[in-house]
Amino acid sequence: MSNPHFVGVETARPDAADKVSGRTQYIHDLAVPGMLWGAIRFSDHAHARIKHVDTSAAEKLPGVEAVITGYNTPEVRIGFVRDNFALKRDKVRQFRDEIAAVAARDPETARAAAALVRVEYEPLPGVFSLQEALAPGAVLVHETDAKGRPRKDNLVPVRFAHHSGDLEAGKRASKHIVEGEYRVPLIQQSCMGTAGCIASFDTRGNLTLIAKTQIPFLAQKDFNRALGALGLEGRNTRVVVPALGGGFGTGLDTHAYEYIAMLLAWRTGRPVKILYNREEEFAYLSPRQSATARIRQGCDANGKLTFREIEVTQDNGAYTSWGATFPSVMLVPATSLYRVQNISFESKIVYTNNTYCQAMRGYGNPEITWPIESSMDELAELAGLDPVEMRLLNSNQPGETTPMGLKITTCGLQECLERTAAGLNWKENRGKRRNVKRGFGLAGLINVAGGGKIYRSDGSGIILKPDDYGNVNVSYGGVEMGQGLHSVLALTIADTLGVRPEQVIVNQTDTSTCPWDVGTHASRGAFMACNAAVMAARKLKARLLEWAEEIFPVEVEEALAKARKHPGFKEPDFDWRGNCRPGCFELSDGILTIKGAPAVPELQVDFARLLRAIHFRRQGGGTTFAEEAFYEPPTELPDWEKGIGNMSATYAFGAQGVEVEVDEDTGEVKILRLVAAHDVGRVLNPQTLKGQIYGGLAQGIGYALYEEVLTDKGRILNPGFTDYKLPTAVEMGFPIDVQLVQTNDPEGPFGAKGVGEPGLVPTAPAIANAVYDAVGVRIRELPITPEKVLKALQEKRRR
Amino acid sequence: MGYDYIRPASLEQALSLAAQGESALIAGGTDLLVALHKKKRPAPGRLISIRSLPELAGIRDEGARLRIGAAVPLADLLAHPAQARLPALAKALGVMGSRQIRNVATLGGTLCNASPGADAAPPLLALGAGVELAGPAGRRTLDLAEFFRGPGRTALQPGEIMTAVLVPWPGAGTQSHFLRRSRVAMDIATVSLAACFGLTNNRLSGVRLAAGAVAPVPLRLRATETFLEGKALTDETLAEAAKLARADVAPISDLRGTAWYRRELVGVFLARALRAGNGGKP
Repeated sequence: MSNPHFVGVETARPDAADKVSGRTQYIHDLAVPGMLWGAIRFSDHAHARIKHVDTSAAEKLPGVEAVITGYNTPEVRIGFVRDNFALKRDKVRQFRDEIAAVAARDPETARAAAALVRVEYEPLPGVFSLQEALAPGAVLVHETDAKGRPRKDNLVPVRFAHHSGDLEAGKRASKHIVEGEYRVPLIQQSCMGTAGCIASFDTRGNLTLIAKTQIPFLAQKDFNRALGALGLEGRNTRVVVPALGGGFGTGLDTHAYEYIAMLLAWRTGRPVKILYNREEEFAYLSPRQSATARIRQGCDANGKLTFREIEVTQDNGAYTSWGATFPSVMLVPATSLYRVQNISFESKIVYTNNTYCQAMRGYGNPEITWPIESSMDELAELAGLDPVEMRLLNSNQPGETTPMGLKITTCGLQECLERTAAGLNWKENRGKRRNVKRGFGLAGLINVAGGGKIYRSDGSGIILKPDDYGNVNVSYGGVEMGQGLHSVLALTIADTLGVRPEQVIVNQTDTSTCPWDVGTHASRGAFMACNAAVMAARKLKARLLEWAEEIFPVEVEEALAKARKHPGFKEPDFDWRGNCRPGCFELSDGILTIKGAPAVPELQVDFARLLRAIHFRRQGGGTTFAEEAFYEPPTELPDWEKGIGNMSATYAFGAQGVEVEVDEDTGEVKILRLVAAHDVGRVLNPQTLKGQIYGGLAQGIGYALYEEVLTDKGRILNPGFTDYKLPTAVEMGFPIDVQLVQTNDPEGPFGAKGVGEPGLVPTAPAIANAVYDAVGVRIRELPITPEKVLKALQEKRRR
Repeated sequence: MGYDYIRPASLEQALSLAAQGESALIAGGTDLLVALHKKKRPAPGRLISIRSLPELAGIRDEGARLRIGAAVPLADLLAHPAQARLPALAKALGVMGSRQIRNVATLGGTLCNASPGADAAPPLLALGAGVELAGPAGRRTLDLAEFFRGPGRTALQPGEIMTAVLVPWPGAGTQSHFLRRSRVAMDIATVSLAACFGLTNNRLSGVRLAAGAVAPVPLRLRATETFLEGKALTDETLAEAAKLARADVAPISDLRGTAWYRRELVGVFLARALRAGNGGKP
């Protein structure tokens, strides 16, 4: 693998042609024989007691096979603090609470029947903002915890904090201090493919769930527990993952609709499919939560950071999913973006009667990089420093250990900042184009890039199974959700083993055939998969080359014997017999030969022929192959209450900078160009890597300028793309300069770092900093809408 | 959910079918079908397609005016040489929906849908367009400003069908401008404004202004027009006109913008449209 010739080369991804020609099968395309359709009856109130549920009219509708409620099914508790139920009894706490569900012969009948379920409520007052939920004597969203003990406030029982150094000493040492409160809105992951699943049981009570998930093995665990609730202890769930039309964190937890499909399938004895349409996806799946962050940070007279103090409060919604653990990731930039001692980080996760929230790409990092990087610019201004100089002065460096205990191995932050600035002609432009309302802004980032340990194992297993035809079948437990995982797996395996990428076939992810993986999240997919793949491919190659000692001479002699029948054949001028040792063989591009041998066909054994010769060995019995490997990164599960622990095997850095033009009359912000410099360790496939960065940027720009799920007392007002706006090709129609900084990480596969999330992390503060440079107003609440900019400009004029 | 779909061969047939009630007219269907699919309007007994009626087709220069068949797709109008003489209308048509939508959506359809934010309405209002309606009682023409009666409501009587839009050719020296803001591309307008006027020796004449998405109907800004007529184009005039225009409109706050922002933008767009008369950036 000294000279990879596939890794690093622009290569079309293996799934591209099927996707563009419509052959890829998503959950929307799948049906199984005998399948029924499920539909759910959701709450009509944000907070109410359920007095009575009458399913009789729904049951009478022709075509309906079953109507279930929390009263006629076993209790299935879900969520990692077990505060949620597949079907609600007694009380609803948000508009999307599931009260009843129907299985019917077609989706229309199922939906019509769900609408016929009559629910009587006793409405309760609700809490819909952080202020309301935290007020003394506030209405409790949950009166008791999962164990039935009374609760006294609306705080979710999780704690993430960090205190290091001496905060007061840091403040005393500060020449300049800035302070601000920053907000981020509720946003939707906006997967192109909406959510859905098919649940079916065999007669022994084993469940097969075709699920749009990013965590097949943790889902298996969740569902096996749910089978226990059905009295099916010891039975198994097989999770099969179809092609995913985007994940972005939506598949990081199991969902009530999936448990409902399971309950309906169990009740009817038939497979049941539930599929959300776009409006349902908006209304009934978990978005990224809104949050408020207060930040204070200071620097000395030279601009060196002296302290950083952050308090985050998140609106969790009514139940707890992984969104409640965003502060675990916020700890990384809070403690470790730029060199700063004397840190305080506190977080509060608050129950409200809003929709409950979940993971999304970046997982807390964009939320907290937004205040940190906005406030860095404010601090630079106070200190009379250029924002780039200020950041370079405080830049992380290779080899350092941060206050959180993160071990920074390779670090391209400085180079990313410099290349971003150079790409924008920073020195000539920044602060100098206000006359034409143009501004330049930049922000940096740190992100986990070698896994993110949040579970007892952060590992990934892989199985490589070559066949008689020279194909290498790969079973991997992580999920291809559009990011290009299968592409980089193929390139990595091709180079490590010595075959061509098209010989590598990555199978569908299925818990019954793939080894365990914790899930595809935290920018860990390529890093983990390719590390495991390198391990397994090396083992496989070593075994094959051992066999080659016996097989190669036999095959070559046979080929030579045939060749000698042709008049004029010349014996190769090479001592191949004396070099038939594993160390002398070379397997490359699917051809086995001996290093230094002349490139004549007689001295080459095709990979498929080698495999067949071993399998169908003439004497002494042959064998087939499968090699397995499990990669567990060298990381620590952090102590979350102390906020200490090296949770990733390496860290990605980067910087993004933009030039914007602000229309002072309308408040519109137009991006004119963008430079994104990312420390990616090493490029595996430039095409999929840039795809990750472009996609991240589009989401980062959506977060910065356009996206917000609007609610009114818990009800979502814009459940669809008519009124929930993503940037279109028009808004993205500016030049993007992606700079790939290769730091060649020692722990990364071929030196690569994870790149899934960084693309959207610093985008919003870079834009806000540019808006400030253009017109002198600082917006602290995303999205930066024209209305907010215009209001701020008018206030500035009045002052 | 299905509907009976009838395609009459002539306007006469269409009128007699429409007179029977229990039906909805469909041309491009880009508004109607979405509304039916989302159950935002009751399902009609049947759909009468007027898309291919010869009486509703074609774009014809009638000398003093352009006659645009009500069932002419927006894309056809945009591709017609006449659009060069109606730049504000062409600009509005060009931002309506996507190319695919413009290939099927019709000019008559967007007007009869009577959305307060219909992009084609302000330029047509500012151009002084009229509409031709055919009904059981015969044909009539109506000033477009009289046609809009409220969100989704028009002057169409039961059984009446819009047959054409009549656009008087702007006089020599008349300028027309269209300004619009939406959250992103391919979005319903937050505010739109069209202006037609002449400007000779920096003096305004024949001023006609109309705005969209700032009132229950697309509307003419009459008080502002009256104020501007004959005035010299100065900063003071523009400031006063912007103030009047903000008073001429009656916006609401919705998901696309607040009433405050819409009022602000009406003033900004008005000033920009008029400044464009002197070569300013609209």
